[in-house]
Amino acid sequence: MSSRRSRASVSEEEINELISRLQTLLPSARRRVGREASTTKLLKETCSYIKSLHREVDNLSDRLSDLMATMDHNSPGAEIIRSLLR
Amino acid sequence: MASTSSSTPAAEVEVEERCRKRKRAARAAEPAAPAQPSKWRTRREHEIYSSKLLEAIRVVRAGPSAAAGAAAPAPPRGRAVGEAADRELAVAARGRTHWSRAILASRRRRLQAAHRARLRAPASPPSRHDAAAASASAASASAAAAKGTATPPLARKAKVLGRLVPGCRKLSFPTLLAETTDYIAALQMQVRAMTALAEALSAVSATSSPGAGSSSSSSPL
Repeated sequence: MSSRRSRASVSEEEINELISRLQTLLPSARRRVGREASTTKLLKETCSYIKSLHREVDNLSDRLSDLMATMDHNSPGAEIIRSLLR
Repeated sequence: MASTSSSTPAAEVEVEERCRKRKRAARAAEPAAPAQPSKWRTRREHEIYSSKLLEAIRVVRAGPSAAAGAAAPAPPRGRAVGEAADRELAVAARGRTHWSRAILASRRRRLQAAHRARLRAPASPPSRHDAAAASASAASASAAAAKGTATPPLARKAKVLGRLVPGCRKLSFPTLLAETTDYIAALQMQVRAMTALAEALSAVSATSSPGAGSSSSSSPL
């Protein structure tokens, strides 16, 4: 077991730290009841969260393309948006 | 510099490796250590991304045929916007993460393939194979190492995760975790920026065309 540890370049602690950092991003972190989440559950939740984010981006991009289609370039509205974003 | 850590050689090796990684990052002239997910929460990044996204969407709207050369007339405008959004996100990452490089690389491959298909007989499949073979051979070594750091049931989930995050199919487990963390933070910013943009645009179009029917999103959520 010790030989495997010396061969692996990343220790358990670093993996645990990465996992906890990932956990803080997930929406379930808000109702966290101590660090009970197993890594498997965390990974599963991460996968479903990424999928839902992808879906939301797709919805938003559809909505944005519809909006852009109806909008006029030179309308004052576009100017306002551009100045707001800058 | 006195190090108060234990005297085990393993610990010393780890500390040394961490120092080496930090020096390598500093030598690459990048101020931050491997991509910090917190940067996706800054207002500045949000603003930069929003303005770039608006520009990209406007380009998409202006002429998809001009860009893609009519070789891909099919991507519905919604998907084209999504792709522009992803591309801007990848650019914002400044090439420090695997997933951003994968997004940009796949987009470049597709454009090159479309371009070559326009000029002459398609020579694109070989280039795709080369790129895939290169990444596969370089990553098979890390795949072998991955088995040593993740037990089998975890490895299955990790594989699913690797498929979701672009360009991370064959990374080692800890690298995959870091990439995922950054990718999720970036996606969150993308959603925030696109939502704000959509709200702003719908508000503008609602006011600029009064009486154009019912606009259901007149009140913020």
